[in-house]
Amino acid sequence: MKKKKNPCLLYGAALLLLWIAAALLVPELSPYTYTGINADIRNQGSSCLHLFGTDKFGRDIFVRVWYAARISLLVGVTGAGINAAFGLLYGSISGYVGGKADFLLMRIADILASIPSLLYVILITLVMGAGVESIIAGICVAGWVDMARIVRGEIIREKGKAYIRAAQMEGIRPLRILFVHLLPNVAGPILVNLTFLVPQAVFTEAFLSFLGVGIAPPSASLGVLIQEAKSQIQLYPYQMLYPMCILCLLILALRLFGRGLENVYGEKTER
Amino acid sequence: MSLLEVGNLNVQFHKDGKKIRAVKDLSFHVGEGEIVGVIGESGCGKSTAMRALMGLLGKEADASCGRFCFLGEEGTFSPNKVQKKMAMIFQDPFSYLNPTVKIGKQIEQAVRIHSGGNKKERKQRVCDLLEMAGIRMPKQRMSQYPHELSGGMRQRVVTAIALACNPKLIIADEPTTALDVIVQGQMILLLKRIAKETKAAVLLVSHDFGVIASMCERVYVMKEGTFIEQGTAEEIFYAPQKTYTKDLLKNARRTRIKADATETEEVLLKLSNVTKLYSNRFTQGKAAQKEGVQNISFAIREGETFGLIGESGCGKSTLAEIVTGQKRPDAGEMYYRSFRTDLLKKSARKKYLEKIQMVFQDTCESLNPKMTAGKALMEALRADKRQILTAEERKERAVQILKDVGLTEEDMWKYPKEFSGGQRQRVCIARALIRNPELLVCDEAVSALDVSIQTQILRLLKEIQRRTRIACLFISHDLEVVGKISQNVGVMYLGSLVECGNTQEICTDPWHPYTKQLLECKPDPDPKKARRKKYAPLRERQEKPNKGCPYLGQCGYRMECCEKAAPPRYQFGSRKVACFLYSKEHRKGNTDMPMTSQI
Amino acid sequence: MAVYTMKRITVGMISLFVLVTVTFFLTRMMPGSPFEDGNVSASVTEAMEEEYGLRDSPVKQYRTYMTNLLKGRLGVSYKQQGVTVESIIGNAAPVTASLGAAAVITAAVAGTGLGVWRAVSKKKTVRILLSGGTLLGAGIPNFVAALLLLLVFGVTLKWFPVTGLFTPAHYVLPVLSLSFYPTAVVAEMIYNTFAEEMKKEYVVLARAKGMGFWQIAVFHVLKNAWIPVLNYLGPLSAFLLTGSFAVESIFNIPGLGREFVSSVMNRDYTLIMGLTIFMGSVVIGVNLFTDLLCAWLDPRVRNSYLEKRWGD
Repeated sequence: MKKKKNPCLLYGAALLLLWIAAALLVPELSPYTYTGINADIRNQGSSCLHLFGTDKFGRDIFVRVWYAARISLLVGVTGAGINAAFGLLYGSISGYVGGKADFLLMRIADILASIPSLLYVILITLVMGAGVESIIAGICVAGWVDMARIVRGEIIREKGKAYIRAAQMEGIRPLRILFVHLLPNVAGPILVNLTFLVPQAVFTEAFLSFLGVGIAPPSASLGVLIQEAKSQIQLYPYQMLYPMCILCLLILALRLFGRGLENVYGEKTER
Repeated sequence: MSLLEVGNLNVQFHKDGKKIRAVKDLSFHVGEGEIVGVIGESGCGKSTAMRALMGLLGKEADASCGRFCFLGEEGTFSPNKVQKKMAMIFQDPFSYLNPTVKIGKQIEQAVRIHSGGNKKERKQRVCDLLEMAGIRMPKQRMSQYPHELSGGMRQRVVTAIALACNPKLIIADEPTTALDVIVQGQMILLLKRIAKETKAAVLLVSHDFGVIASMCERVYVMKEGTFIEQGTAEEIFYAPQKTYTKDLLKNARRTRIKADATETEEVLLKLSNVTKLYSNRFTQGKAAQKEGVQNISFAIREGETFGLIGESGCGKSTLAEIVTGQKRPDAGEMYYRSFRTDLLKKSARKKYLEKIQMVFQDTCESLNPKMTAGKALMEALRADKRQILTAEERKERAVQILKDVGLTEEDMWKYPKEFSGGQRQRVCIARALIRNPELLVCDEAVSALDVSIQTQILRLLKEIQRRTRIACLFISHDLEVVGKISQNVGVMYLGSLVECGNTQEICTDPWHPYTKQLLECKPDPDPKKARRKKYAPLRERQEKPNKGCPYLGQCGYRMECCEKAAPPRYQFGSRKVACFLYSKEHRKGNTDMPMTSQI
Repeated sequence: MAVYTMKRITVGMISLFVLVTVTFFLTRMMPGSPFEDGNVSASVTEAMEEEYGLRDSPVKQYRTYMTNLLKGRLGVSYKQQGVTVESIIGNAAPVTASLGAAAVITAAVAGTGLGVWRAVSKKKTVRILLSGGTLLGAGIPNFVAALLLLLVFGVTLKWFPVTGLFTPAHYVLPVLSLSFYPTAVVAEMIYNTFAEEMKKEYVVLARAKGMGFWQIAVFHVLKNAWIPVLNYLGPLSAFLLTGSFAVESIFNIPGLGREFVSSVMNRDYTLIMGLTIFMGSVVIGVNLFTDLLCAWLDPRVRNSYLEKRWGD
C-alpha cells in the first residue's frame, strides 16, 4: 500500500531540526558573544556584520536571540519531559490499578488542577530565586495533571478490551501487561499530547521572563529579550520583532509536528 | 404496476487510487404494497445498494443507474439527493439517533419537513407515530433521550422517524439484527402491521433467512454486488437453483454438527447455587434492584459442550467471569474437578484456572493490535509457569497450533487487522488452546460472524474437541448456534437458570414458558412455517420482580404461587426446570405418570 | 445531581484550603520584607514588622490569618496604607472580568465560525489558509500578540488608544490580543469535532429524514461538537477572568493581573493572599459551573449520575 503524504509531519520536523541546529550552532560559530558590549554600535539596524542589528548596549542581537533560544528550548524540553514522565507514571498507575487508589490519586490531581497555575509559578520563582531551576519547578507543579488525566483515560478505555482480559487470564504479570500490552496501544494520544506540553512550557517560561520574574540577566531567554526591547518599542521595534519571530517559529514547528503526528495516529484508529 | 423499477445500478468506491466495485449491474423492481427481501452475507453490498437508492451515499462513492423509475415517474437518479416518499430503517438503532437530542424532537424534525403544520399539530403527529410504532405512553417518551431506551424501543423510534416521511417505500436495512430474539419477533410483527396499515412497500434487507422467510413475498439473493438469484419466497426456499443459495440455506437450518460422543462421566466443573449480585450503581439507595446471577447450578463433564442461552443482560457474561475466576461469587460453591475453588485466594485460584481459557466475542478487540499473531501466541506461552520453554520451542509450538486451527505459518507475522473476522477468531482460539486448557469458555464467540463462517468455526471447535477431549462452555444468545454444537444446554433469564438439560430434548420439547417463547420467536428459514408463526404480543419488558419468579412479568402461565417465591428447581431425569408448573402441588397426585411438558 | 454538586464543592473547598495554606507559607518564605525600602533604616523596618505581627512565628501568623479569614476579613494592604484588600479587589475585578468576558465571547464566536467554515468549505485555498491561520494563531503567546498589536495599531498606525480602559475603543487591542490564542484553539477543536460528528450515523438518519445540510449542521452536529469546546472554554474563562497578567501590564490596565504582579514585587503579603484566594475561588467556581453546564447539555453525562433506563 502506498504511504500517504503527511506534509505537516515533514515540514514540522524539518523546521524543528533547523531551529534546534541554529540554537546550538549559532552562538558557537559566531564571532560575537552574547554579552559582548560595544558602545560604538548601539541600536544599529540589520547589516551584513550584525544580521539582526544590535541592542542598546551594542550587543549582537542575532547571537543573543539564538543563545536565548537555547535556554528556552532547555526549559521547554526539560519541563515537558518531567511533566510527561510523571504524568505517564501517575496516570498509568491510577488507570491500571483503579478502585480506591484511582479515586484518591485523581482527587489529588483535581485539587492541583484547580489552582491557578500561573500564580503558583510566579510565587515559586520568587521563593526559589530567578533561574532556570525555579522556572522548571514552577512549570512542573501542576503541568503534569493534564497528561496524567489523558493517560488514565486512555488506559481505562483500553483496559476494558478483551485482549487485556485475555492477557490477565493467561497469567501475565501486571507490569508486563502495562508496558508490553497497554502502553504501545495508547502511545498515539500520549505522543500528540507531548507535542503540546513543550510549547506550553516554552510559553510559560517566556511569559515569566517577560514579567521579569524568570531568567535573570545577564543570562537571557527569548522572554527576557522581548522584555528588554519593549522599552524601545517606539524607536527600534525590530529589536523586539526578532526574538518574537524566533519564539513563534519554535512553537509553530512543534504544533506542525504535533498535527502531523495526530494525522498519523488518527488514520490508524480509523482503520 | 411497479412502484420502483431499477435497472443497472452500479456503485464504485475510490480508495487509495483503486476502484472497488461494490454494486454491479443491479436490476430489480418492487410492486406497490409488496414486501421484497434481499438476502446476502455481510460485505456483499446490500447496504451500499440501498443507500444509493435512497440517495444517502457519501462523496467518495460513484454511482450510476441505467433506469430509475419511482412512483410511475421516470426519475433521474442521483446518489446524493434524498428521495421523497422513501424512508429507511437502519440496523443499529443506537448510533443512528443523536444522543443529545430528545427523541420527540428528532421525530418532529421529520414531521416538520414532510407534513408541516403548526406546533400543536406536529406534536400530535409525533404522538400518533410513536403509538403506531408500538410505543406506549408516547407523551412521556417524547421527552426522553435515546440512551434511556432499550434497543427494541430505539428501533421503534427509528421506525417512527421513517413513518414520519409518509413513505411509499420503506427500506429496512437489517432492522432486527441488533435485537434480542424475542424483541426481533416483535419487530417483525410491527413491520408487517405497518406495511398493512400504511400500504407502503417494504424492501427488507437481511442476512437472516428466518426474518426474510417470515415477511417476504419475493426474494433476491445477493452475492458480491450482484443478484445471483431471484424468485418468490417459495421458489428460493424450497427449490433454490444456485449452489450458493443452497449452501446459505443449509447453514441457516439447524443441522447438528456430528461428532463422536467423547464425554466421560467425570465432572470437570461444577457450580452449585452460585450467586453474584451487584447493585445497579444508578439505583443505589432505591429499592434493592440487583443485577447479576442467582442460584446457578450446573456441571460440565470432560469433553462435553455445555451451551448457555439467554438474552443480552441476563448475566451470561457474569457467569463466564465467575467460571474463569475473574470474579468471585458472593455465595455458592464452585468445584474444579474435586477442588473447591471459590474460597481460594486469588493467587492460589490461578493454579486451577490456568486450565480454563476463554474466547471472546469481538474479534477486533480480543487481539492486541500492536502484536502479530505469532507474538500473541508466544506471549501466552511465556506466561506459562508449568513449563519453561526456549524461544525456539515457543515458536515451534505457535506454528503448530496455528496449523491446528487451519492457518498457515505465514500467518505468524501478520497483524490482527490483516486477518478477516473468521481468521481472527481462529487466532483467538489458537491463543486459548496453546496453554493446553481443559475447559474452553466461548463467550458469544461466533455471534459477530457470518453464518457460513460461523459453521466453519463451530466445525473447527468440534474437531478440536474430538482431538483433545477439551470441554467447552459455549455461551450465546442464539439458540440455533447452541443447538448445533452442544450436548447439554442451560437457559438463563434475568440472572436465573430457568431450564437445563439435554439440548435435543429442550429444543424439540421445551418445558419452561420462557424457553418455549425463545424457540417460538426464532423465525424459521421456511416461509410456510414462518408466516404462520404467532409472535409474542408487543410487551415492554418489566423490571425484575423483587420476589417471586423472575419470569413473572412476561409469563402467560402465571399462577398465584409464582408471585410469592421464586420457584425451586424440579428435576426429572437429566432435565431441570425452575417453574411451579412442575411442582408436586400442581401435579395433584399424578405422581406415577412420567412428567411431560405442561405447556 | 445534587450529590455530585456537593462533592464537587467539597473538593473545591479542600483545594482552596490547600491553596491558602501553601500560599501563606510560600509568601513567608520569600526573601525580603514588605517594609524594606532604601530610605528607611533597619530599626524602622523592624518596628513596622513588629506592628503588623510579622515577627511572630509563621504558625502563629497563620493562625491569626485563618481566624480573620473565617470572619470574612482579608485584611489591610501593607503597601497602600489604610486600603483594605477587599476594596482593591473590588476595584480591579470588574476591569479584568469585563476584558476576560469580552475575550471569551470573541473566541467562542469567532472560533466556531472559522472552524465550521474550514470544515465545510469546498475551496482548497480557503481550507489551507484557515488551517495555516489556526496553526499560527495557536503559536503566538498572548503577550507577543499584545506587543505586535500595540506596535502595529497603536504605535505605527495610531488607530486605537494603547493605555488604560476608558472607552470601547480602549478594549479593542487588549481583547484582540487575549482572544487570539483561544480563537485558534476553538477553531481547531470545532473543525476536528465537526468533521468527526459529520461522519456519525445519526447524520445519515437526519439526511434520510430530508433535513438540509445547514439544518443538520446547526441542530445536530454543532450541538455535539460544542461539548468538548465547552470543556476547554471553562478553564480558559477562569484564566482570563482571574487575570491576564502580561496583557494588563502591557496596556497599563488597572486589573487583577497588574495588582498581583505589583503585590508580589512589593511583598504585600495580605494583598497576595487576598488575590490568591479570590482567583482560586473564581477558578474553582467557573470550572464547577462548566461541568454542570456540560452535564446539562449532554444527557449522557447527566445520566451517569442518577437515573436508569426503562423498557429494558
